[in-house]
Formats: sequence, structure tokens, C-alpha cells
Amino acid sequence: MGYDRDLSFVYFGPTKIVFGAGTSRDVDIEMAGLGCRKALVVTDPGVMKAGLVEGVREALGERCAGVWSDVPQDTGIGVVNSAAAFAREKGVDCVVSVGGGSVIDTGKGICILLMEGGGLENFEGIQLLTRPQTPHIVIPTTAGTGSEVTCMAVILDERKGQKMLIVEYFNAPRIAILDPKMTERLPPLLTASTGMDAMTHAVEALQSLSREPIADGLAMQAIRLLHRDLPVCTENGADLAARGQTQLAATMAGWAFGNAMVGLVHAMAHSIGAIARVPHGIANGILLPHVMAFNRDDAAEGYAMVAEALGVREKGMDEREAAEAAITAIRSFLERIGHPLRLSEVGVTDEDIAKSAALSLSDGAIVNNPRPVLDEEEVIAVYRAAF
Amino acid sequence: MAKYNAMTQEWLDAWKQKIATSKEYKEIAKNWEGSVSIIVNPDPEKGIPEPIYVFTDYWHGDVLDFLICDKAKAESARFVMSGDYTRWKQVAKKEVDSTKALMQGKLKLKGDLTYVVRNIKTVNKVIDLLCEIETIWPDEA
Repeated sequence: MGYDRDLSFVYFGPTKIVFGAGTSRDVDIEMAGLGCRKALVVTDPGVMKAGLVEGVREALGERCAGVWSDVPQDTGIGVVNSAAAFAREKGVDCVVSVGGGSVIDTGKGICILLMEGGGLENFEGIQLLTRPQTPHIVIPTTAGTGSEVTCMAVILDERKGQKMLIVEYFNAPRIAILDPKMTERLPPLLTASTGMDAMTHAVEALQSLSREPIADGLAMQAIRLLHRDLPVCTENGADLAARGQTQLAATMAGWAFGNAMVGLVHAMAHSIGAIARVPHGIANGILLPHVMAFNRDDAAEGYAMVAEALGVREKGMDEREAAEAAITAIRSFLERIGHPLRLSEVGVTDEDIAKSAALSLSDGAIVNNPRPVLDEEEVIAVYRAAF
Repeated sequence: MAKYNAMTQEWLDAWKQKIATSKEYKEIAKNWEGSVSIIVNPDPEKGIPEPIYVFTDYWHGDVLDFLICDKAKAESARFVMSGDYTRWKQVAKKEVDSTKALMQGKLKLKGDLTYVVRNIKTVNKVIDLLCEIETIWPDEA
């Protein structure tokens, strides 16, 4: 394995994992274990409508001080500030997030404001906090984002019209409860696209300039589990065993990319998401094999590991051949799970591509891409290949 | 080549001169707007009894103020970076990548990370030019 002899890194992953069907009902026990007495449940209207909050609220009983269910698809500073004001009124000392990435990132923002005061606009930056923040319990309702175990939050600054990144070790969730029943009713396309979000986290962690052995191990196992169980979930959403394994895979991929970072797929997905409103997981899934082809010569070792995890690295293959096999396998996998294959299928236009390419070059994810991205034309070529 | 004591006005002047005379910097930094301050936390054992505040200012490839300053001036910068002396020394000697140091909590940044990333070549060039200065570090003097 080609790690530098002077390899030096920090691995950070303090979140306790509670796993199993029905474990979301243990939220009160976990909360008591943190020494907390009053929780704000944070969620979104879709999760409320799906009836996923009711069980959590019942389990919390009197420990539930209130429910904030107004989180939009892309959360913003205004949302977090309003929710934190509501939380303060209720005197809460713990946040329980029930939902996907936007809900979890809202919860992270509320935790900072409950401890530090003020508005979230004052916390733009990296590692500014100097003490542990308000305890945060996360109950994901998708298997993809990995946000339940990362210390990052992406929040829209509505005034500037751009997304703000907050990275704080002191604000990683304390506990993630992975209850397969919470993802049981996800429709097949959402199951596939959130699963490809996790797959992309794992693949990009393995190709990252900041890759390291712990993250690599987590990414490899995440790919194995997704490869085996994501197709089961898209075919039969009620298979709780497969649902559980994809949740674990998403969490492992979250640890992997939370430490090793992501790359060009994410830079391009963020940009096409902002310009053409393509959902993040779908953009990641469509772009992944095309960016892998772009990076192939600079990431052959990492992609050979992807091939190994996907079970397509044959004896005698060199790294470049294995990398090629990995790219082919990812394409086949997308077809197998019924994931869109082309940007044109999801409403992207030719005009969107140029705008998105320019935006991609300013995305933080690009820093750790194995192949340096020199200009817009290179990014445009990848978008066109995926178009 | 002249040697300069780290984190003194003379050292800052030499650094500023290096940047100001770099054609490559002028080209790379043509889009950069705004000031960056560096706060070095005190570490008496390493010869830093009090915090050190450094203010640097850049505008579209030109170099403006490079000053040892007070806390208020440092905190007025568009980007405020802070950390322990040992970490800053590692970054200045390119033993640690500045982006990695931020992500791993070895340095702190107040400000818009996406802007910094968008201009990461500018940041790296400024550090490269710092490395070219013969520096006498307080704990090595």
C-alpha cells in the first residue's frame, strides 16, 4: 500500500453508534446517558408526514420540549437562528435531529447557538470553538449523507446567496442512532441516489490526496456493503437487514470522507446542484464514473482498491487495469439500482454546464482531488461526458 | 543572504518585498481582495511570552500593509487565522500543509473558507515566498 513513509494525519470520529431495528425508541435512554433533560426534536415536513417523528417523540415522553419541523431542503442561517431561539424559549439542553443532511446540519447549527449564543453568521470558519457544544443525537432517515458522524455543516447564507461551511471538532454529534426502520419507506429512486451519495463518499475518500489507512479501511467496507445491499434495498425496501447494512455503510463512508475529504465529484455535484437544482445524491451518482475516468491515471491505486471492494479485481490485473474495471463496475452498478445515468435525464441544459464548471473551480472539495484541475475546460469536458 | 528574526517588522518587510517583486504572485493573485491576519498564541518556553498579531493586506496582486499590530487591528482583517507558535512554524517551513492544518484543527480560521479555497494558489504562493526568507526562529536562536 503506497502510503508515504512520513505519513502523518489526524483521525477524528468520536460519535457513539447505536444500531438495530427499533433502536430509535431508545433515544430517551441515550439522552439520559448524556445527562440531558430536555430535547428539541428537529425535523422537516416530509419526515413529519411520513410519521417518523411520532415514535421518537413518544419515546422521549416528557424529555421532549418541542418539535421544530420547518427545515427546508437546503437549510439556511435564518432557519437555524429561528430554531435556536425556539430552543432557548423551551430551555432545552439537547438536540435530537430526525431526518437527512439538511435536518442534521440544522441541528448542528442549533447546538452551537445554544452553547455560544448569537447568530450563526458569526461562526463562519474552521475550528473556532474552544469547548464541547450542546449534545446532539442524530437519527438519520436516509442512508447516504454521513453527516451523523462528521463535524461539518453546510448552511446557506441567505443574504449572500452562498453556502457557508462550518467545520468544528467540538460540534460532532455525540450519538447516531441507526434504526433501519427509519429508512424502510424510502422510495427506490431516493434509496438509490442517497446510496450513491455514500458510495461517492467512499470512492472519493480512497482517491483523496488526504487518504490514510483508517479512512481507507472504512471506505472499503462501505463499498462492499453498498455493493451487496443497496440493490436489495431498491428492489425490496422492506428488507430491514439490507437497509441496516446500507445505513452502516453510509456512516462508515461518512467517517472516511470526514477525515480524508472528497474531490471533484463533489465539487461538480455541488455546482450543478446550485445551478440546475439536481439533487446531490443523483448528481454524485451520475458524475462518479466520469470523474473516475478523468482521475484514473492519478488515482489508480485508490481505484484498484475500489475494484477489490467491488469484487472485480482479477488476478494478474495491474492497478490501471483494476481501476478501469472499477469504473466499468460503477457504471453497471448504477444501471442495476435504477439510478439515472445522464445529466440530460435530470433536467440539466447545455447552458447549465458552463456556469457549473466555473463554480466547480471554487468549491473546496476540489483541493483534495488527485488530479489537479487546471481550468474550466477540463471540468466542462467531464460534464459533457456525463451529459 | 540576510537573516531575519521571525515575526518582527523586518521579517515582515522582507516577506512583503518578496511578494511584491514576484511576477508569478501578481498573476496568480489578480483576483484576491482583502486582508489576512495571523495570531500567534503565546508560548513562553519557545520564546513567545505574549501573543503576536500580524496584519497583512493584499489587493488584486498588489501588497498593501504588512504590520506587527495590536489585537483590535488583527481582528479587523477579513480573514483571521490563529494558532500555536509550533504550528505556524511548521506551516512557514512547509512541514505542514496549511489547508490540512486548518481542517485538522491545528490552526483556526475565521472567515469565508470557500473564498480561501477558490484562491488556494494565492495562499500557497504567499507561503512559498515566505519559505524563501532566511528566518531565525525564537526557539532556535
